[in-house]
Amino acid sequence: MTSLATTKKTTPSRERLNPLIWLVIALFLFVMVFPFLWILITSFKPGAEIYGRDTAFRLIAVNPTIDNYTTVINKGILDAVKNSVIVSLITTLYVVFVASMSAYIIARFSFRGKRMLMGLILGISMFPQMIIIGPVFNMFYNLKMLNSYWVTMAYSTITLPSAVWIMIAHFKRIPLSVEEAARIDGCSQWQALWIVIFPMAAPGVFTTAIMTFIAAWNEYLLTLTLNSDKAYHTVPVAINALRTQFTILWGEITAATVLVIIPTLIIVLLFQRQIVSGITSGAVKE
Amino acid sequence: MTWRQFLFVLPLLLLVSVFSLYPIITSGVYSFFDYQTNDQTRNAMYTGGHLNAPLFHEDGKYLNFYLKKDLQLVDEPGQATIAALQADIEAAIEPYAQKKEPITLPQPEEERILAVIGEIRQRIRSLEEAYPGTELNISENADTLLKEMETCIVGSNFIGLKGYQRLVGDTRFFAALRNTLVFTVISVFFELIIGMGLALVMNRSIRGIGIVRTVSLIPWAIPTAVSALIWTYLYDGTSGIVARVFTQLGLIASPELLLTSAGGTMAAAIIADVWKTTPYMALLLLAGLQVIDRGLYESASVDGAGPMRTFTQITLPLLKPSLLVALLFRTLDAFRVYDLIAVLTKGTPETLSIYAYKVMIGQGNYGYGAVIVLAMFLCVGLIALLYVKVLGAELMND
Repeated sequence: MTSLATTKKTTPSRERLNPLIWLVIALFLFVMVFPFLWILITSFKPGAEIYGRDTAFRLIAVNPTIDNYTTVINKGILDAVKNSVIVSLITTLYVVFVASMSAYIIARFSFRGKRMLMGLILGISMFPQMIIIGPVFNMFYNLKMLNSYWVTMAYSTITLPSAVWIMIAHFKRIPLSVEEAARIDGCSQWQALWIVIFPMAAPGVFTTAIMTFIAAWNEYLLTLTLNSDKAYHTVPVAINALRTQFTILWGEITAATVLVIIPTLIIVLLFQRQIVSGITSGAVKE
Repeated sequence: MTWRQFLFVLPLLLLVSVFSLYPIITSGVYSFFDYQTNDQTRNAMYTGGHLNAPLFHEDGKYLNFYLKKDLQLVDEPGQATIAALQADIEAAIEPYAQKKEPITLPQPEEERILAVIGEIRQRIRSLEEAYPGTELNISENADTLLKEMETCIVGSNFIGLKGYQRLVGDTRFFAALRNTLVFTVISVFFELIIGMGLALVMNRSIRGIGIVRTVSLIPWAIPTAVSALIWTYLYDGTSGIVARVFTQLGLIASPELLLTSAGGTMAAAIIADVWKTTPYMALLLLAGLQVIDRGLYESASVDGAGPMRTFTQITLPLLKPSLLVALLFRTLDAFRVYDLIAVLTKGTPETLSIYAYKVMIGQGNYGYGAVIVLAMFLCVGLIALLYVKVLGAELMND
């Protein structure tokens, strides 16, 4: 697969577009951005304006305030961000480690049961997560692992298959001769993987890490079920816990949303090329 | 595979076994039992008879407690009768004093315990008959306690295929299946159409087209549970701007309908899903478009093919493998939708995931919940098979 960015650069001629397509692009961008823009606007409005008949739909708050932000910070939304960072980092570290080892073997050697192993990995990435919830809850309950960072181990179901898949695609691109040379120099398989292959596949490793991090950061169902204790809530769960039974304080929720989206925005802006490569890895045959 | 190579794969196999295979097999086992965690007689899987020993012991203690009170109400021979009865009850429950969990009960044991309970009932009745004028404490409570002691003997809750039988007649399940299919088909349809258009636009070399890609990554990258919450606000009956705009456009009769009516919630969920995942579809299709040899398009235009003909004769056939993968991934993803609907409307329209979660975690009915998720599993398998067979691409070749 050629990288999306390089294809764009190497194409010499710039096309002229008819205005209709420009209009469609503009409309698309507006639809994509509008929800974020609107919560940003709301987050600076005091409660009375959010619920007021005339003020609810004003573009700019009459009396802008940062109270919503101070309130949600006092309610501990940043603790949830901290939990999300911890949980996502743990998951990323061990998943990249485990996926590298397996992908190396799958990409480099042929063995009996290889197709079955790949089918298993692909199958797991497809099945409904709901199927593991009951048994995993019972397992965590019996082992007294509820309300802890052990939840990251259960995250392997949602992150490991795609991580292995992306890694295989990237490991395959490294020429066999490089590894053979290393083996002649006396490297073991273990050394060949970590000293030669892994650093050479750094872009792929990085893509895998980013994709795993985002998947762990976005996980909702497992944390909701296994970590009911507020102290272990991650961002998606904590922000929904701000909804109370009877009233929804949109000012606080929009402020919290703006705060928790910032890390995602930074990741997208910095690593968009890796993300695009991660999304399309394995989807297109070379 | 050498054993060294096997060691490299071992961590993966362990994680997969513990967190994927074991739960699936366990779900299969659950599905054969009437296993409900909030019901004392069914809170584990029993293949044989069981005695709820702690409760049995407690009930016996209560019997003796009331009998002790009655000691003051009767004469001396009566006291002797009661003391003997107390001693026998104590003897009957004593073996279970230290038990904290239900214990297995062989058939002869079960009959013996039932006989003992029957005998105690008989002796209490004779006691009552001996003192017709006295209001004994035991008379008021014996029936309830003895009945409870009998229910402490729990039969097997193995139900075999009855759970599956129940599923076949479960209209709520089929309603959830229909909702899931409607949601999946409509969402994926719009995602495909819009995503294809978007991919074709992004594939052209226009200055600044990169910004379209950057912007479209943002909805994909944020947690579904967060984006669903954003949409809950946009759809809100009083403060939601989308609900208001839709009302003014005449799409809905009044703003609160989006999150309260059946059609409204379905439309709301589909719009939010299309908003979030169309970019993902577009990127997958774009990757497929970019491996198509540009020379083919030049030859087509030399031969005088119009854009429509080029699209149907060159782009579509060559895009087929990518199209299949994108469609398959998106269909399965939409089919298991949970976060979006759980957050948006707290569970309407009820999809299969929502229904399964309510039964399993909400009601603690792990047995029937497992039946539902296994049915989902089957559907997912059928969908995957359908794609591979009908569209005929080879996913697994390497």
